[in-house]
Amino acid sequence: MTLSRSQKRGLVGASLLAFVLIMVGIIASYFGSKYQLRIVYGSYVSLMVVLALQVFMGNARITNLSHSAFMGIGAYAAAICVTPVAMKKISLPSAPWGLNAFALDPVTSAVIAIAITAAIALLIGLILARLSGIGATIVSLAVLVIVHSLFLYRTDIFKGNQAFFGIPQVFTLTSAVIIAVIMVYVVRGFKESRWGIALRASADDEISAAAMGVNVHRLRLLAWVLSCVLLAVAGIAYSYYLGTISARPFYFNHVFLTLAMLILGGMRTVTGAVLGTFLISFGLEWVRWLETGPHILGLKFPEVLGLSGVVLGSVIVLIMALRPGGIMGDREIEDFILKE
Amino acid sequence: MLVVQNLNVFHGPIEAVHGISFTVKEGTCVSLLGPNGAGKTSTISAITGVAKSTGSIMFADEDISALPVETRIRKGIAVSPEGRRVFANLSVKENLRLGGAYNAANVDSLIAEWFETFPILGERRDQLAGTLSGGEQQMLAIARALMSEPRILLLDEPSLGLAPKIVTQIFTMIERLKEKQMTILLVEQNATLALRLSDHAYLLNNGQIVADGTAETFGSNDALMAELTGLA
Amino acid sequence: MEFVAQQIMNALSFGAEYALLALGLAIVFSIMGLVNFAHGEIIAVGGYTMVAMAALSLNNPLIVVGAAIFAASIGAVTLERVAFRPVRYADPTTGLLTAFGVSIVLQNLFLLLVSPRPIAVTSLYFLEWPIPFAGLRISSLQLFETLTTIIVIVVMMLFLKRTVLGLAMRAAALDFEMVRLTGIKANRVFATAFLISGVLAGIACVFIMARRGSVDPHLGFDPVLMAFVACVVGGFGSLPGAVIGGFLLGAIEVAMLVLLPQSLGGMTEAFVFGSIALLLIWRPDGILTPPREKGDKQ
Repeated sequence: MTLSRSQKRGLVGASLLAFVLIMVGIIASYFGSKYQLRIVYGSYVSLMVVLALQVFMGNARITNLSHSAFMGIGAYAAAICVTPVAMKKISLPSAPWGLNAFALDPVTSAVIAIAITAAIALLIGLILARLSGIGATIVSLAVLVIVHSLFLYRTDIFKGNQAFFGIPQVFTLTSAVIIAVIMVYVVRGFKESRWGIALRASADDEISAAAMGVNVHRLRLLAWVLSCVLLAVAGIAYSYYLGTISARPFYFNHVFLTLAMLILGGMRTVTGAVLGTFLISFGLEWVRWLETGPHILGLKFPEVLGLSGVVLGSVIVLIMALRPGGIMGDREIEDFILKE
Repeated sequence: MLVVQNLNVFHGPIEAVHGISFTVKEGTCVSLLGPNGAGKTSTISAITGVAKSTGSIMFADEDISALPVETRIRKGIAVSPEGRRVFANLSVKENLRLGGAYNAANVDSLIAEWFETFPILGERRDQLAGTLSGGEQQMLAIARALMSEPRILLLDEPSLGLAPKIVTQIFTMIERLKEKQMTILLVEQNATLALRLSDHAYLLNNGQIVADGTAETFGSNDALMAELTGLA
Repeated sequence: MEFVAQQIMNALSFGAEYALLALGLAIVFSIMGLVNFAHGEIIAVGGYTMVAMAALSLNNPLIVVGAAIFAASIGAVTLERVAFRPVRYADPTTGLLTAFGVSIVLQNLFLLLVSPRPIAVTSLYFLEWPIPFAGLRISSLQLFETLTTIIVIVVMMLFLKRTVLGLAMRAAALDFEMVRLTGIKANRVFATAFLISGVLAGIACVFIMARRGSVDPHLGFDPVLMAFVACVVGGFGSLPGAVIGGFLLGAIEVAMLVLLPQSLGGMTEAFVFGSIALLLIWRPDGILTPPREKGDKQ
């Protein structure tokens, strides 16, 4: 299979990013404290979510607000399948359909979780793909709220805002790094594939594209389902590491946080997704440290609860006003190394 | 009244008009002619301020090139844009009211006048503008523009998409405006009709002025006319 | 019979509040395509103003209500000037994300500068008392809310039909550029839209505070969410749609509260949203709009 020029560049770019991800992972593993390792793992999970977002938003140019919901679906589906029966009988005593009576191995659970998420994504995507622009965004928001409500209220299955515990912690940072690296290749690959290119073209002018024979709806659906599958993987990575999940993380704050990461870096490029994720993940930790009123050089700084929120929100507002394309704009990482 | 010099008009990064210059003297009717894509509408957009441009635009001896759209309009420029762009969700009467928005004193009497001049608009005064026929919409667009009692009227493609009989009506209306000493800048693809009305005309092609002169100059130039009417 | 009448009253007052909130969102969206998620924080601004009034020992209800509405209006107009002007002509997505950002900043500013804890607001308790009427027990608050909303709707309709600025706003919903080309200043149109949304938020705030009795940084989240859903149901950006959507949402919520058996009681919200979802599948553009083929003549 011969690759086009942009596809070759894409390969280079993805490999560069993979290298960075692996390096960060190695440094963290060797030098990081347990606490820091958790932060780094968290940032890799965020990266998975942001990459999933990029695949849809960067190509279809539609803002999606439901991504945290799909991450949650993947997380819960895997959690329910994989948690040992003994645990489930305690945490989900009244689970219907015998959900607390079986347990599967992590791999099968993951596959089932992905399949379930993909199926739901397909159903919702059939509606969403027909809408465009703000209409799709609005419906995605409705999806987020509906899924969250379901998580909260079917406590017999999901335990709502209480912790769903007992998930076997089978993932380590290495697993996350590997998955993230694979995702980078997948997402970049989609961007440079004929579907990605066609989708971007039709994002700007749907009617013309359709007139040229591009099946816009099907392309959108493809990107959407792919995005949701990746989100499911992120959710699985989340539950398989933490061992406990609840409904709270899969709602607005998370939506906003991951959106900010993608926007800061630049939603049009995979490099932007990576850059924004790391900047905000680590930057936020630093701001949170400031929030607690640390001692610096003998001075006691005041507690400023809420500073992280202000900073995060301001980042979004400023980027939208001054540089809507994000830091990377349209440039991928290989543009700095390869000549035109 | 309107002196344009070295005008370059940009649509994003693309330059649609390259350094044109022309003049519209008070009380005259000047036409910008040319085929599709020549840059005629871009020029209008630059004068109103909707499109980015460089170069000098002097209106009544005042440089308006740095002013925002609304300020330019308030100096006495009115436009009936390409495609009429009547406010489809407002009634005929409401459209006219908006046209005379900052001419508050005369609004009601002007509206009454227009309904007299164009009984058809009066008949449809409470009808939604979007339900009017093409010709009626064009009448409305011009009437709306004139509600502000402007010093210059920019008319962009008034004949576009209209049946010949209606076009005649519209151009009769424009002729009457001319008789009242209205300064008019007319953009038209229908060169024959435009030349009949104009004191002076400019031919644009690919963003540049390729010919200019009086209606007679154009009329007597057979080759030019053949090209124009071939394209019209 | 009394039960039905009671529920109708409930539905009306729930619906009235949602309609009020939805109108605030819809007026801004219809003109500039902006989904103003910070609308909830405008409501909170009103709430915190009431706290300030109490702190200044100004307990006269007229002052409290007036101050809240005034603060909300000023807040809204300020937001437009400061935060939304740079993205005024950008695409709706940019605007939506900016609004999200503004909302988060404001919520955290309340946290930071005032208090993370709820603060009690008692000056409006007087508004609520039971009115026995034809065998029903209506809350006066419900009555006020429904009546106020109706008056607000009528006033808005008059404004939009009779004043030049109102006409300009209606026209701007379809062709903003052309409105500018008739010489009407864009700034004025936008500021007015936000002013109206601020007033609406302030009025809604009065009723919300009368019921809740306290304000906290995240006060605005639930109202703006409901407003959003109501707008979606009615067709985003349509003003009549916002009103209809609001009342429909109120009706569905009351219906669910009444119809759901005790065991599923906690599921009201999920069912409400579920019904909304079904509605959206049937009419993706909102109740008032039949699904449209793209490329249809406008």
